[in-house]
Amino acid sequence: MSIKSDDLEEAIKSVKAKKPEERMVPTFCAMCGPGMGCGVNCYVKDGRFVSIEGMKGAPTNKGKLCPKAFASMQWVYSPQRLKYPMRRVGEKGEGKFERITWDEALDIIASKLKEQKEKYGPESLAILSPQRRSYSDYLQRFLIAHGSPNYGHSGLCAIQQAFGFAYTVGVPMLGADYENADLIIIWGANPGYDGPRGKIKRILDAKDRGAKLIVIKPEMQPDAAKADIWVPIRPGTDGALALAMLNVIIKEQLYDKDFVSRWCYGFDKLVPHIQKYTPEWAEPITGLPAGHMKEIARIYGTAKSACIHAGNAFDQTVDSNNAVRAVAILIAITGNLNRPGGNIVPTGSTMPLVKSVHLRERYTQEMVDKLVGPEVASCFQPFIEGTSSAYYRCINSVLTEEPYPIKTIIAPGTQPTVITRGTKRVLEALKKLEFFVVIDVMQNSSMPWADVVIPVATMYECDHPFEAMGNWIMARNKVIEPLGDYKSDYEFWLDLGVKIGYGDDFWHGSMEECMNYQLENFGMTIEELRKHPTGIIYEPKPMVYEKYEKIFATASTRLSGAPYLPQGKVAVYNTTFEENGFNPLPEWVEPPESPTGTPELLARYPLIFSDTHSSDVYTQGWLRNVPYLREIRPDPWLHINPETAKTRGIENGDWVIVESPHGWIKVKALYSSGIRPDVVMSLHGWWQGCDELGLPSYPLLDGGANANVMYSTDPDKAFDPVVTAMSKQTLVEVRKA
Amino acid sequence: MTKQYGFYFDADRCVQCRTCEVACKSTHNIEPGIKWRRVIETWGGDYPNATRTFFSLACMHCGEPACVEVCSTGAISKRAEDGIVVVDRDKCNGCQDCFSACPYGVPQFGDDGIMQKCDFCVEIRGEPACAVSCPAEALNFGTLDELLEMATGKAAKRMSGSTEPSIIIVGKLQLASLVI
Repeated sequence: MSIKSDDLEEAIKSVKAKKPEERMVPTFCAMCGPGMGCGVNCYVKDGRFVSIEGMKGAPTNKGKLCPKAFASMQWVYSPQRLKYPMRRVGEKGEGKFERITWDEALDIIASKLKEQKEKYGPESLAILSPQRRSYSDYLQRFLIAHGSPNYGHSGLCAIQQAFGFAYTVGVPMLGADYENADLIIIWGANPGYDGPRGKIKRILDAKDRGAKLIVIKPEMQPDAAKADIWVPIRPGTDGALALAMLNVIIKEQLYDKDFVSRWCYGFDKLVPHIQKYTPEWAEPITGLPAGHMKEIARIYGTAKSACIHAGNAFDQTVDSNNAVRAVAILIAITGNLNRPGGNIVPTGSTMPLVKSVHLRERYTQEMVDKLVGPEVASCFQPFIEGTSSAYYRCINSVLTEEPYPIKTIIAPGTQPTVITRGTKRVLEALKKLEFFVVIDVMQNSSMPWADVVIPVATMYECDHPFEAMGNWIMARNKVIEPLGDYKSDYEFWLDLGVKIGYGDDFWHGSMEECMNYQLENFGMTIEELRKHPTGIIYEPKPMVYEKYEKIFATASTRLSGAPYLPQGKVAVYNTTFEENGFNPLPEWVEPPESPTGTPELLARYPLIFSDTHSSDVYTQGWLRNVPYLREIRPDPWLHINPETAKTRGIENGDWVIVESPHGWIKVKALYSSGIRPDVVMSLHGWWQGCDELGLPSYPLLDGGANANVMYSTDPDKAFDPVVTAMSKQTLVEVRKA
Repeated sequence: MTKQYGFYFDADRCVQCRTCEVACKSTHNIEPGIKWRRVIETWGGDYPNATRTFFSLACMHCGEPACVEVCSTGAISKRAEDGIVVVDRDKCNGCQDCFSACPYGVPQFGDDGIMQKCDFCVEIRGEPACAVSCPAEALNFGTLDELLEMATGKAAKRMSGSTEPSIIIVGKLQLASLVI
């Protein structure tokens, strides 16, 4: 079962023949994970990591990579790497630290947590979650062992969509059957840039065999440039378009009547509800001509098979739960749910399940009730990642002390100063916070406020954990010895668990035993897994379509285990929502500021501003310090239509000030004829300089380039009440700097 | 000449992900500011009817390379066995005549002033890192015969030009300028 070991042996032989001084180490790329699982071959010469290539036998990426992977060496050897654990000696924000030992660092953290647990209760600890990584469950394990439910999940990525789908069609994550689709809709997503790069090949292959491609997003990004139809929608109005599409498809009877009558609950209540959401109603909101929206609805409604790839646009709008439910209903009523070419529930593979380290079985209602700021409403907790408070709400509680203040925040591989909204409030909170721990491989923008800084190894300096992706499992191999006094993120949680007295739950600090526990279903140990240098590939199971009875009976993640769909049918009319005080049918909610929601602001702020979530060369708030990547996108930018720019006297490449009702940034205007004239867009995550290229860092607050200072954090307007989904749309004016 | 190696570029598939650019820089450890390969983009029309196309450009390993022709020191040569155009950096005097002669602006000059450019990764792994890594499978490599066969059923042709560039182009390529 060991994969392509011939390939590996061939490759090793060829390396030995061509470069006898180099050693090849197969492992996983670490540039947007760990946990994304692209297989790589790393080359080492005299103990130094010198080059990297894609692993051809890896099922995830089949030898293909992205620019970030190729910049791995510059990242690992960056002069901005941390060297050793540190304790703050200056004022908060000043950035003065002194070296301490690992043991001292663990002692300080463990004694602080014990003291606070006694004094304020265990829920006073929040651990912020970065994007889903293979260490996420370790954070949950520590929290649960400690007794806190406050896993501070972003509140703006993936979970929001998963929630709307789970409670409408019974499945949190739907795949897209590109191989069999006649029509593919990319909606508020960028499959060319996000995660492992296999998706874009599948979409292009479908297009090559004649599938039609519709791309819905405000900017003509490269995938939109390939589309048969580009739908340049205003940011944050995807839900209004989805409602208008439902209106047309129902009015013109383009839905699958058999599926609706057999498998949908409450369609009869949707019919009168949707009448008001006509394309003419949606036109001033989305900025799209009504006729254009009708055409899209008809194309989708009449396609023999169609799949939708929806992205972060749906996770970052106050209309999130409505927009996602509207899209899920579109998929269902057009007969595109779990049918060939539609949105599908992948069947998986014959690979055994990795045993989770999560400790989910220990959740209690009391823990749910103690959430400081539930990410999805309490009545729906825990959800698929466990109990979670929204990242921003954990931080905000320090200031509001409502319902109680968080006293310790641990931020592993995540920067509250650039990665959530409301940077001004975040900085105030970090100043007031009793204890703040930052864990990272590199100096980061939140570190100056930390009490303790924990330097961790990059995944190229670790021999764990193994990763299991789809039908492939492989042990991680260490490429080079750690360059500083490092442990891994994983070891940190095991060691802290032992230090604080939870050793029984943390394998008494043994990473090997921890991995052996996770591998129990495989009937092998980590040592045995290592005997397969490129891992093991299991047979995929053949796809089984439809099977509605089974998927509509899926048990929810709530403590009761009640099914997501109480009627065993698609929840077109959602009684679970109704019982908990939410609208059972999807409606339209305006962003905090928008042309139709707050027209009174247009005189001063006539343009719509948003930022894109994924980048070709950067990962969130990272990698601006890597020369290979930074030279491609050297300056924080604002994409602006030339007409919009010229009426303001702005030339291509001018530095401009972009001002919203909440803050302002200074960025470089880049002309684009592929953006709506009433919209300007930037990229989030700018703060970091690149010493090697002489490029500066930027302030975190007004006058910097941090898109998060621009948005509302009004508790009544900036959050979706069901799933948080903080808005990233506002109104701005742009002028020459 | 028995074989001519070259590149294959499918303009309908490139999504400007930049993998080829950074794969090249990383594999050859190229200094900042120097690019052996670059993805150039061309915008056409105005909103909402704008068009946007991409082209990944590196040395074309031309059939009749103008750089070889003008090189007074004999530093640049075309390999008989595979048609790959290589530069002997010990012989190059940095006169930059090759840069003026090349229609595509390929020759690059870094801090040492000596010409550098794509060598098809012949000295490294035997396969161009850019092409084997392309996630969109827009870029590929092989002999021109193999590449034409790869393009069977698609609108493909060898790029025309006085220097006979060794590249097969598939799909619509719109270019405002064609210089690295």
